[in-house]
Amino acid sequence: MKLLKIGISGVRGIVGETITPELVMNFASAFGTYVGSDPVLVARDTRISGSMLHSACLSALTSTGCDVIDLGVCPTPILQYTVKRLKAKGGISITAGHNDIKWNALTFINEEGTYLNAFQGEEVLDIYHLGKFLKVSTDNLGRIKSADNYMDPYFKSLGEFLDVQAIKKASLKVIIDTCNGAGAKSLDWLSRHLNFDLVPVNNEPNGFFPHDPEPRPRNAQQVASIIKVVKADVGFVLNSDVSRVSLVAEDGETLSEEYTFPLIANHYLKHNPGTVITSRSTSKMIEDVARQNNCPLVKTKVGQSHSIQSLIYEDAVLAGEGSGGVAITEFQPVFDGFLTMGMILEIMAKRKMNISRLTEELPRYHIVKEKTYCPSTKIHSIVNEVKKLYPDRQIDSSDGIRVDFRSGWIHVRTSATEPMIRIISEDTSKEKAQERAEEVARFISSLIK
Amino acid sequence: MKRTTSLKISISGVRGVVGESLTPQLAASFAQAFGTYMGQGMVIVGQDSRISGTMVKKAVLSGLLSVGCQPIDIGICPIPSIQIFTGEAKSVGGIAVTASHNPKEWNGLKFINGEGFYFNTHQMDEFLDIYHQGEFSLVEAEKYKIPKLEQNPTKLHLEKLLSYLDVDSIRLKKFKVAIDCCNGAGAVLVPRFLEALGCQAILINAVPDGSFAHHPEPIPENITDLCQTISRKKADVGFAQDADADRLAICSEKGKPLGEELTLILATKYILSKKSGAVFVNLSTSQAIDDIAGEFNASVFRTKIGEINVVERMLSYHGKIAIGGEGNGGVILPEIHPCRDSFTAMGLILEYMASSGKTISELRKEVPRYYMIKDKIDGTQEQAYRIIRQLKKRYWNRGEISLLDGLKIQLENCWIHIRPSNTEPIIRVIVEAKSKEEAERTASQFKKEILEISDWKS
Repeated sequence: MKLLKIGISGVRGIVGETITPELVMNFASAFGTYVGSDPVLVARDTRISGSMLHSACLSALTSTGCDVIDLGVCPTPILQYTVKRLKAKGGISITAGHNDIKWNALTFINEEGTYLNAFQGEEVLDIYHLGKFLKVSTDNLGRIKSADNYMDPYFKSLGEFLDVQAIKKASLKVIIDTCNGAGAKSLDWLSRHLNFDLVPVNNEPNGFFPHDPEPRPRNAQQVASIIKVVKADVGFVLNSDVSRVSLVAEDGETLSEEYTFPLIANHYLKHNPGTVITSRSTSKMIEDVARQNNCPLVKTKVGQSHSIQSLIYEDAVLAGEGSGGVAITEFQPVFDGFLTMGMILEIMAKRKMNISRLTEELPRYHIVKEKTYCPSTKIHSIVNEVKKLYPDRQIDSSDGIRVDFRSGWIHVRTSATEPMIRIISEDTSKEKAQERAEEVARFISSLIK
Repeated sequence: MKRTTSLKISISGVRGVVGESLTPQLAASFAQAFGTYMGQGMVIVGQDSRISGTMVKKAVLSGLLSVGCQPIDIGICPIPSIQIFTGEAKSVGGIAVTASHNPKEWNGLKFINGEGFYFNTHQMDEFLDIYHQGEFSLVEAEKYKIPKLEQNPTKLHLEKLLSYLDVDSIRLKKFKVAIDCCNGAGAVLVPRFLEALGCQAILINAVPDGSFAHHPEPIPENITDLCQTISRKKADVGFAQDADADRLAICSEKGKPLGEELTLILATKYILSKKSGAVFVNLSTSQAIDDIAGEFNASVFRTKIGEINVVERMLSYHGKIAIGGEGNGGVILPEIHPCRDSFTAMGLILEYMASSGKTISELRKEVPRYYMIKDKIDGTQEQAYRIIRQLKKRYWNRGEISLLDGLKIQLENCWIHIRPSNTEPIIRVIVEAKSKEEAERTASQFKKEILEISDWKS
C-alpha cells in the first residue's frame, strides 16, 4: 500500500515511497506554473527529509522562472505572515505538521498568506495532472534569495496584537515543547516579545522527534512530568510547524487538544463577538461557548483549508479545530501556534487565573478519538456502510458521517492524511462516548474481514 | 529528415538545454541513478559558474538525498579541483554540474568515481542501465543524511600544484600575467594561484557568474579582449580558461593567440626536457606531439577522444609516464591528478618560461609548426556514421586509416579526422597539415565530399 494524499492544500506522503524528488518537483513546477510570477517563499520544518524536498522545490520553482525567497527552517504561520508582508505571490511550506517522521508534505500558500482555497487548489492540481509545466531558458530562470530578518516583523506585530504589558506584569513561567520542530528556532523571539520566562523542552531544530509531533496528552508527558518541578504556570506542546498547540495545566494535567480553541474563544468572543468557524469533529464545548456568547457557529469539513475558507467567506472572527489549531481573523486568518500561545498567556494574565481554573469554566464533555486502519480502496464504501448503524437518526454526510444525539455526537470520517478511518465520539457521559466509538470500530473491523 | 536534439547522453555525461531538455526532474533522476549505482555514502557536488548551475545542483542534491547519499555541496569550483577533492575525500563519487565549453543555455552533469576520475565506458554503461531501468533505491525518512557545505574545496588542488611546481623560480620572475576566466569556475582559484606564484595578475572576466562575456571555448576568435589587454598592459603572457577550467589557451607577449593546440605541445616539450616517459594523447591531437616525442625518444599513445579515454590509457600503462592530454588545451599530469587541468597547464608554461628565460613567442618558434582546421557540420550520430562508412570505402587504400574513434585518415602530408561529437549534435571535421594552404584545401575537399554524401542519402 503506497500512501499518498493529494488534496487542495497540497500533497502528503511517505518519504521514499510516494514522496520522491520527482513528485515534489512536479508539484512545485505545477505551483510555479500556476503562480506565474514572483516571488514565492519557501520554508520547511526540521524533518531530516526536509532538505530533499527543499532542494527539489527550489530547483523546480526556479525552472519555471519563479524567483524564490528561501526562509529555510521556519514555522508555517511565520511563512504565511511573511508572504503577505512582502506582497509575495505565494508560498510553499514543507512540513507534515503532526505526522511522524516518516511523512513529509508540501502545503501551498496563496498571496493572501492562507492555504489555497478549493478553486485555487484545483487549478494547481489540473496543471499537475496535465504535466505541462512552464520551462524557461537560462536567462529567465528564477533566482534564489535568502530572506532578511523575517522573525522581527512577525513577532513585533504579534506583540502589538496582544496585551504584552498584562503578560509582563503577570510574570509567567512557561514550558514549551517544540518537539525539535520548526518552533525550536523561534521560542526565544516569542519569550522576548511577550515578556515571559521560558523553559524550553526539545528545542533543538535537528529533525529528530523525541515523540510524535502531534499536540495531545500522549505526547505531553515530558512537559507534564517537569511542570511542577520547575514551577511553571502553563505548558505548551507544539506540532512540527507550529500550527497547533495543546496545553498542560500547572498541576501537570495534560489537557486534551480540544480545550485550546474553546478556552480562547470563551475569552475572545466576550470582547469581539462574531461568527465562529469550527469543524464537524470538534468538541461540543465550542458550541456551548458560542451560544453562551450569543455568537453564530458555522461547521465545516475538517482541515485548515476548509476552516479558513469559511472564515473568510462567512466574515467570521475566529476559526479553530479540535486538533489545537486556532485562527483569529484580526491577526491573520491562519492556524497560528504562536498567536494561540500568546492568547492563552494573555487570558491567564488578564483574568489572573491558572489553566485549571479557566477550564473549569468550560462545559465538561468526554471525547473519545479512535482510528482504525482501512485499505484506501475500501475506505469510502465502508464509511458509507456505517450509516446502517443509525437507521432512525438524521445523518450529516457532508464530511464522512456525523450523527448527533441529545447528549453527544459521533463523527466517522476518512483521514485526510493516512489510510485510516477516524472515529470521534463525544458525550457528557464518558461511558456513552466510549460505547458508541467501540460499536463503530467493531462494525468496521467486521466489514474489513 | 533533419533532426537535432538538445539532449546528449554519452561517455562525457549528460548535457541538455535548460528550459527544453535539462529539467529538474531529469537531473534528479540521474542523481538518483548515481546514488543507486555508487551506493549510499558521501557524494561531492560541484558546479561551474553557469547561471542555471544552482537550479540543476538543487535537483541533484534532492535526488542524492532521496537515495540515502550524503551530498557535500562544494559550490562553484573548477572541474579539476572537484575531481581532486572527490578523489581525496572519502567519497563514493562526485557529480559536477557543468556543460564545459558549451554555450550558456546548456548545462549538464559529469559523473566522477570515488578515485576522482570520470566514469569510463563500462561504468557509464552500467550507470545508464540503472538510469533507464528507473528503479532507484529510495530510502525511508529515518535513513536520510544531512547535507553539508564545504567552504574551501580548492585548497587540496592548490597545495598539490604548489608542491609540484618550482614555485621559487617562477616567483623570481615576477611575471605579469593576463588571464581571461570567461566568467567561469576558474575565477575562484586563479587569483590565489597566481599570487602564490608571485605573478602580477591582470584579471579579465573574473567574476564567476556565468555571464560568459564571450563563447566559453578558448579558441582565438573568442579571446580578442585578452589579446588586446596583453598589448596594452605589456603582459608577459596571456591565458584563457574555458568555463569549467579544465582547458587552457595561451597568448604570446605580443598579444597573439597561439591556438589551443599549442598548450599541450609546449607543456609536452617542457616535461620531456625534464623527465623521460610516454606521452598520451587523443587521435585529434597535433602531429607536433609525435615530432617532439621523437626528439626525446619517447613513445606516443593515441586514444579515442575524451578525457577519460586518455586517462584510462595512462592508468593502465605500466611504464614511465611523462604527460598526457588533449589538443583542445587539456593538459594531464598524473603527479597533480590524472585529469585535464588548466592550472597545471598554466603552472607548467610559467615554469617553462622561468627556467628557459624565453618569451612565449620564442618558445613557440622552437616547436614544429602545423596548421589545424577544426570544422563542424550539423548532423546526428547516425548521419556521421553513414558518412564515415562511405569515406572509408573511398580511402581505404589511399592512406593509413584508423577506426578507433570515427575515421582518421593519414595522408602523405596531412591527416583528417571525422567523428560525431560526444556532446552536441554535430559532426566534427579536423584537418592538420604542414601548410595553411594544404590544410584548407584538404578541409574544403572533404567537406564537399561529406555534404555530397549526406545529400545523396537524404
